[in-house]
Amino acid sequence: MTTDTYSISGGDYEKAGYAAGRLKEKLKRIGVEKDIVRRAVIAAYEAEMNVVIHARKGTFQVMLDTDRVDVQVKDEGPGIADIDLAMQEGFSTAPAAARELGFGAGMGLPNIRKNSDLFTIDSTLGQGTTVTFAIHLAPLAAYVPSGTSVRITAASCRECLSCLRVCPTHAVRARDGGPRILEHLCIDCGLCIGSCVTGALTMAGRDGLPESSKETVLIVPSPFLFQFGSQIGPAEVLDALAEIGFPDVRVTGEWEDALREAVIKFAREEAAAKPVFSPVCPAVVNLIQMRFPSLLTNVAPFLSPVEAMCRELAGNRRTVVLAVCPSQRTAIMSAGAAAESNVIAPSMLRQALSPILSAGDRSTVARSPESYEPQRQGEETVLLVSGMKHVIAVLEKAENGLLGGIDIIEPYACEQGCFGSPLLSEDPFIARCRRTEAPSTREKLAKAIRRTEPLSPRAGMRLDENMAEAIEKLAKIDAMAKSLPGKDCARCGAPTCSAFAEDVVLGRAAKDLCEYLGNHEEQAT
Amino acid sequence: MRLNEVAEKLGATVLTHQDKAFRVDVQHIYAGDRMSNLLSEGTETTLLVTNLSNALLPRVAELVDAAGICLVNGGSPDPGVIRAADEHGIVLMVSPEGMFETCGLLYQYLGTTRSAGQ
Repeated sequence: MTTDTYSISGGDYEKAGYAAGRLKEKLKRIGVEKDIVRRAVIAAYEAEMNVVIHARKGTFQVMLDTDRVDVQVKDEGPGIADIDLAMQEGFSTAPAAARELGFGAGMGLPNIRKNSDLFTIDSTLGQGTTVTFAIHLAPLAAYVPSGTSVRITAASCRECLSCLRVCPTHAVRARDGGPRILEHLCIDCGLCIGSCVTGALTMAGRDGLPESSKETVLIVPSPFLFQFGSQIGPAEVLDALAEIGFPDVRVTGEWEDALREAVIKFAREEAAAKPVFSPVCPAVVNLIQMRFPSLLTNVAPFLSPVEAMCRELAGNRRTVVLAVCPSQRTAIMSAGAAAESNVIAPSMLRQALSPILSAGDRSTVARSPESYEPQRQGEETVLLVSGMKHVIAVLEKAENGLLGGIDIIEPYACEQGCFGSPLLSEDPFIARCRRTEAPSTREKLAKAIRRTEPLSPRAGMRLDENMAEAIEKLAKIDAMAKSLPGKDCARCGAPTCSAFAEDVVLGRAAKDLCEYLGNHEEQAT
Repeated sequence: MRLNEVAEKLGATVLTHQDKAFRVDVQHIYAGDRMSNLLSEGTETTLLVTNLSNALLPRVAELVDAAGICLVNGGSPDPGVIRAADEHGIVLMVSPEGMFETCGLLYQYLGTTRSAGQ
């Protein structure tokens, strides 16, 4: 723990903000997360200014520990007569001189409280005031689990272990009678849901459709419109949606095109690193954040089409969103773009539509299939890659600098893009083939929206926050893995032997869960 | 949009750190005359637009890493502000227009560039 003390002189506006500035420097140098530095700085500046404005003199003391910073600002001044009143936003006793400078808005103390995790104030009239606040520190890029949108119904599981094997990040474990997801490793791609035949794994969310009115906007990813066989095209689906209470449907198609154009423009005019990755698939963005952080600078800084639509269309109108995969649902919700209760799954909508769509005689819908390749604009070479296995291969090559000549990569976790979502029933190749000109939305609103927060790495794979500890654990895992049979039988509940070694070293599983290890050791002794 | 481009469109004079203006990206503005608000609303991509022209302002902008400060109503600000902005590494510009017009123009510029692809 280190302690620093700064003195503050009342009325010295010239030096005001010095202590807050020093605090900022310190926090940045020990690698504290940006938003936390910001909160500490705001609280510190307000506390410092209070002394400058109101008191004769004071001290500003910072106690810095590994996981928290405590600040005590003590002054000799008039004191506060009514603390409750002083804590109210807008109440101020600042003199005219301070108000002229833009202070005295009555936001100081409330701002300190708002930006700290612990706040106390103590004041004696005629003697002075002591404000203390503490802020919990987290290291830069410490991973805050954003949650996953995979729902587990353990009772339905019959332990076929398919989900363990299919998970690209080894995030699933099956112990104690059902699957479990290690959230810090999950990228929400939904492959586990696709592999599950019993319904033990589904997408989280509400059951049943939310109420709708004429005003409600429904956002629908375009592949959903091609799920209903050869005789039902997008127009019929849209009519049926209107019939069940969603007359105003917005389809993602044009927004996908807008993102594609924006990415090309970005690659042409701004990109610092090539190839540029399109952020079209949130699951792939999650994967890059976790396994390929060095490629984050290559990701074009836009929101995915569905996120952009939620952001732009929400306004005052109720917006219901159909999420075709868990990563889409998590992205929409973590961006605060839509409330949980307004995100629905394809199965619900399909259920509601089927009575309408199955009625009546129909003839085959005429199709004028779109070209599959994204348009090649100007001189940019665009690589379209879909399917997790191929996406990972491409990311590995990109990380090793082996993709010279390719300007833009548009990656999708699912085969054939969102047509291959595990939550959609039609085969992706067939649905894609049926795809016709995307139905036009009523207004020409489609556009790409820039992210306001840059993408940061996810520390999901990090073994320990402390580098030295992490290195030690890695050695233990390697040693442990060597003693395992390497059969990857998954009967221990981990997808591979090396994943099991990690579980044991990190305390997630007991060593004796491995059937082979027990036998092997018995023979050895 | 880069800060220098914003200044150019506004017809604003950049008084300090002209070179930095070429590198800083602005995505939104915050207009106000209260320090507490400028402090809590300023971010790396925010241009602070204000009538407050005093030497404390650049310090606040620096603390929250704001993209820059835009003063309004033309003229030349107090030398103290310019010195402080220079010292704290803050891009300071003066818009020839009033607060209302400046904000209106900035809204037009940033409202269109934020949605690339149009």
